[in-house]
Amino acid sequence: MIKTIMLCLILLPWAAGFLLPVLKLKNRRGKCALISAVLLLEAAGAVVMLLQKSAELTLFSMTKTLTVALRMDGVSKLFMAIAAFGFLLSGIYAFRYLGHSEREDSFFGFFLLSLGALMGMDLSSNLITMYLFFELITLLSMPLVLHDRTEESIRAALKYLFYSIAGAFLALLGIFFLARYTTTLDFVSGGSLNMGAVAGHEKLLLVVIFLAVVGFGAKAGMYPLHGWLPAAHPVAPAPASAVLSGIIAKAGVLAILRLVYFSVGADFVKGTWVQMAWLGLALLTVFMGSMMAYREKVFKKRLAYSSVSQISYVLVGLFFLTPEAAMGGLLHIAFHACIKICLFLVAGSFIVNCGKHRVDELAGYGKAMPKTLWSFTLASLALIGIPPASGFVSKWYLASGALNSGLSVYSWLAPVVLLVSALLTAGYLLPITIQGFFPGKNVTIPEKNNEGGILMWLPIIVLSAAAVLLGILSGCFTDAFSALANSMFG
Amino acid sequence: MILLAMIFLPMVSGFVCYGVGRRSKPWRSRLAAMTAFAELALAVFAALGKNLTACVPAVCGFGLHLELDGFRKVYILIICFMWLMTLILSDEYFAHYHKRGRYYFFNLMTLGATLGVFLASDLFTALIFFEIMSFTSYTWVIQEQTDGAIRAANTYLAVAVIGGLAALMGLFLLQSTLGTTKISELYALAQACESKKTLYVAGGCILAGFGAKAGMFPLHIWLPKAHPVAPAPASALLSGVLTKSGIWGILAISCNLFRYDSRWGTVILILGTVTMVLGAVLALFSVDLKRTLACSSMSQIGFILVGIGMMGLLGEENALAARGALLHMVNHSLFKLVLFMCAGVVYMNLHQLDLNDIRGFGRKKPLLHLAFLLGAMGIGGIPLLNGYVSKTLLHESIVEGIGLGYSLKAVEWLFLISGGLTLAYMTKLYVCLFVEKHPTRQAEFDAKKDYMNLPSSLALLASAILLPALGLTANRSMNAIADLGTDFFHAGALEHAVRYLSLENLKGAAISIVIGAAVYFLVVRKLLVKNGNYVNRWPKWLDLEDLLYRPLLLKWLPAVFGTAAALFGENKLTKKLWQGSVKAFSSLGSLFGENKLTAPISKALLRIAGILSRAVCDLVDALVLLLRKTVYREGPPQTEDKYASSLSYRFGRHADNIAVRHGKENPAEHRYARLFYRLRKTFIDTTHRLTGNLSFALLALCAAACIVFAYILLIHR
Repeated sequence: MIKTIMLCLILLPWAAGFLLPVLKLKNRRGKCALISAVLLLEAAGAVVMLLQKSAELTLFSMTKTLTVALRMDGVSKLFMAIAAFGFLLSGIYAFRYLGHSEREDSFFGFFLLSLGALMGMDLSSNLITMYLFFELITLLSMPLVLHDRTEESIRAALKYLFYSIAGAFLALLGIFFLARYTTTLDFVSGGSLNMGAVAGHEKLLLVVIFLAVVGFGAKAGMYPLHGWLPAAHPVAPAPASAVLSGIIAKAGVLAILRLVYFSVGADFVKGTWVQMAWLGLALLTVFMGSMMAYREKVFKKRLAYSSVSQISYVLVGLFFLTPEAAMGGLLHIAFHACIKICLFLVAGSFIVNCGKHRVDELAGYGKAMPKTLWSFTLASLALIGIPPASGFVSKWYLASGALNSGLSVYSWLAPVVLLVSALLTAGYLLPITIQGFFPGKNVTIPEKNNEGGILMWLPIIVLSAAAVLLGILSGCFTDAFSALANSMFG
Repeated sequence: MILLAMIFLPMVSGFVCYGVGRRSKPWRSRLAAMTAFAELALAVFAALGKNLTACVPAVCGFGLHLELDGFRKVYILIICFMWLMTLILSDEYFAHYHKRGRYYFFNLMTLGATLGVFLASDLFTALIFFEIMSFTSYTWVIQEQTDGAIRAANTYLAVAVIGGLAALMGLFLLQSTLGTTKISELYALAQACESKKTLYVAGGCILAGFGAKAGMFPLHIWLPKAHPVAPAPASALLSGVLTKSGIWGILAISCNLFRYDSRWGTVILILGTVTMVLGAVLALFSVDLKRTLACSSMSQIGFILVGIGMMGLLGEENALAARGALLHMVNHSLFKLVLFMCAGVVYMNLHQLDLNDIRGFGRKKPLLHLAFLLGAMGIGGIPLLNGYVSKTLLHESIVEGIGLGYSLKAVEWLFLISGGLTLAYMTKLYVCLFVEKHPTRQAEFDAKKDYMNLPSSLALLASAILLPALGLTANRSMNAIADLGTDFFHAGALEHAVRYLSLENLKGAAISIVIGAAVYFLVVRKLLVKNGNYVNRWPKWLDLEDLLYRPLLLKWLPAVFGTAAALFGENKLTKKLWQGSVKAFSSLGSLFGENKLTAPISKALLRIAGILSRAVCDLVDALVLLLRKTVYREGPPQTEDKYASSLSYRFGRHADNIAVRHGKENPAEHRYARLFYRLRKTFIDTTHRLTGNLSFALLALCAAACIVFAYILLIHR
């Protein structure tokens, strides 16, 4: 039963995704109902799976050692739940956002296909399966960026495609080497290095692992392969940007997490130059992303840079290789997904309902779109890390994990960079709120509109409420996260 | 339970008020006042009961921890009292305002958060409520939405955010070095801790965070800007309560983490002295009623900080300093309640705050007169009022410090001078409001008998009457308050009861009064008369309104330096030197006042960081671009002819011919030749793009492979 559900989580959206463009349903209501039914089933399936302990399923074997297999553990549960709920809310929002766009079918088709691939990646049990789904996600989500078919969007989509592929190549190289030096390609918490085979080749292996993580980092927007994010987000439709930044970019994080913690093992890289280099890159990304966001005026591009910065918060947490910092990273995965989807949907709302793409055009919209702007404000506060909203909790664990890590320079540099970046985050998000609610005297107040109807504002409100409440109620699940983080160390 | 109720009742009530306000405006203000009254009742009930602790587990990961002890009892009573009084005044003050729903909503939210800060038993909880408080009180400053209000509010928010993050950094460090932020455990753990340096860094961060809210130099910049633009009831709370929440944070670390630490005490003492003097000087030169009061708040906070600094210096014999600091906190809250309410009464009648516009408004208004006089005398430290008591204690503690061998003579004199300046600027306000006559509107002012309604009058009277009540019963009431604070302040036992009205103590007050009188008559009167603007030439004031403060400061300083220079003799070198220092001083002045100097610096820093980030960010893209322009260059652009002469064209022509033969003459743009041409063009373009980009991906692979192989060959043999 559990195995069926696990398989269905992947196959159901795929089936629906293939059928949608083929069937060409004329009845829009029916089509929306079908899509939402699929998304709801996914969410329900994810909840059912959350309650299970673990499950395994081997699909087929390519060779004797290379199998494509699924398995669910704590990490899968976290990513799966985020993916299911993020896609559900973005999908509902998209019904109204895309309106009667001509390529609606293809959008929802690829939307669902990406979801299926993402589920597959979350549930994969070894490096090969994960790599398979990782590439599939790239290929299936690229058409989401391509949606508008303008010159600019084609350019951006290609950039996305090739940054991802370049990264994946680097990672593949790592997987080849790991196949040689590990006992098994299956994910084993604490890593599965064959120390006998590694002996004498440690330095080589470190280089390879470093490159592999940089490669997977392309998807997560880690420097130096982050360039696709700010290009792809402004041209993609808002719900697509939302899932790209909130969930699909996290696939890169998952890949890094699996590679470092479940294949190589945290102990092997701990204290080496590789860890220092990763931390350096991640911290550089954190600062650079915030700074770029601060100077950016196009709303969605600003959010894209913000994603670059925030996802690297997660990576900083993971690269410290201590349970506490990793826990902060895991918490930030969930919180950032929630917040960033919300923010992108808000940006989309302004685009569809008011035709405003730039942040400096939003003065005075507090009266016109109170629900949207209030949600934006709450989500912003959560992202900055103002207590008691959610970002504060994850940053607390990240910083205290860093300070307790015992890495001389990074242990204090990381919290400082995180806080400077938080300050910049305030600098690029709060002015939007301030100008929205308090425009000053010589701004024409825009007319009130319906904020896109309930299908648009409800997902936004739900997400922003979650962004705040998850922080307030975080005591309920910190133990689970702590256990999860500890389990990654074998 | 009662603690939680106190914090969350106003927060819930805020939502209810907002809802009620959509139906009935009078009921909204009534409900808000009732909430504050209920809070006061709860506070009285809690204060009469035992010391309590409470805990909400699991909120924000660690849970909220609350505690009620003597000091907190005093302060929650004051907070609730002040909130009740200001809310009663608000009803009349806001009668003609828009967006009152927002004001009441955020006002009640802030009440809950502020109580949360004071009741917190660990710094983590305090920070959570502190941040909520900062953000909800932001709407007070921006309430009127004028350009000035927006600018001031943004400054307020910036300082709040930066301060909050600094405090958070301090908490990170504290948590990682000591493993807790629980206030009562900090002292013992800090004693056992080996890395004192980290503790000082942590303390400095927390000091910056809470000091910013307290208005401590050099983070006071928001204070003189925010108060004049905020509504008066909100100003009273900002000045009377919110700054005290900053002081609470400073106390929490000074009395625990750095208890009896003379180095820490010295830092606080220096910052406090600067704040005290600077605030007093700024207040003296201000011509805006509320701005004067705001700068005065800053100065009084400086007095409190001096007390806290002395606590560190005096070690275990810090009873005088602790009692003085606590009582001055309490007193200052009460003064500022009265004074800002008076300012509110003036503003709601005249909608003006400039001293020249409101001149003479208070004449023939006995209630306002009495309240303001009590407030002014109280804050000026006139004997028999409460301010005298706390200032005497603070002064005594400095004297005690001198007795212990610290060279604090300068601090003592600055203390007395600041006391004198306090009197001088309060006299200035008092004379302006109640003695002088308005040149044109005096009759109109005198005729205003219904300048405030009954509830507001009662609130003002109740607030004002507390000052002499406390002052006259100092030996009982104020000593009792000071005793309650002993636990929180970790003050030693008082060696002997202080006789407040002894000759020795009266001497300090007398010195201050003499200095005050001298400053008022020599500086304020002479200077203003010398500029010829204050009394006689009324219309010129209007022109100078915006620029008044700065020229005064800049003219006054050169005057002082000029006389000093004259003493040294008029030669070229000293002249240049003085000019330079005058310039430096005036730019320093603008740094304190308007922040003109720091703005470009921070802007430049930001720009540099931005450019660097841009360079770093686009490095890879630039590399790709470079490669595509050089090694992976696309061929020269295909010309139309080449497409036309290609195979596709011939096929297209044939297809077209066939179509014509079948009697289907397609329009020009639908001919097959064109169609094939377009398809081919798309195909070629796409392959170009793909190869161009794929080459980059492959390049990355090659680079990676090259690195690995080079590594194998060269290093890893």
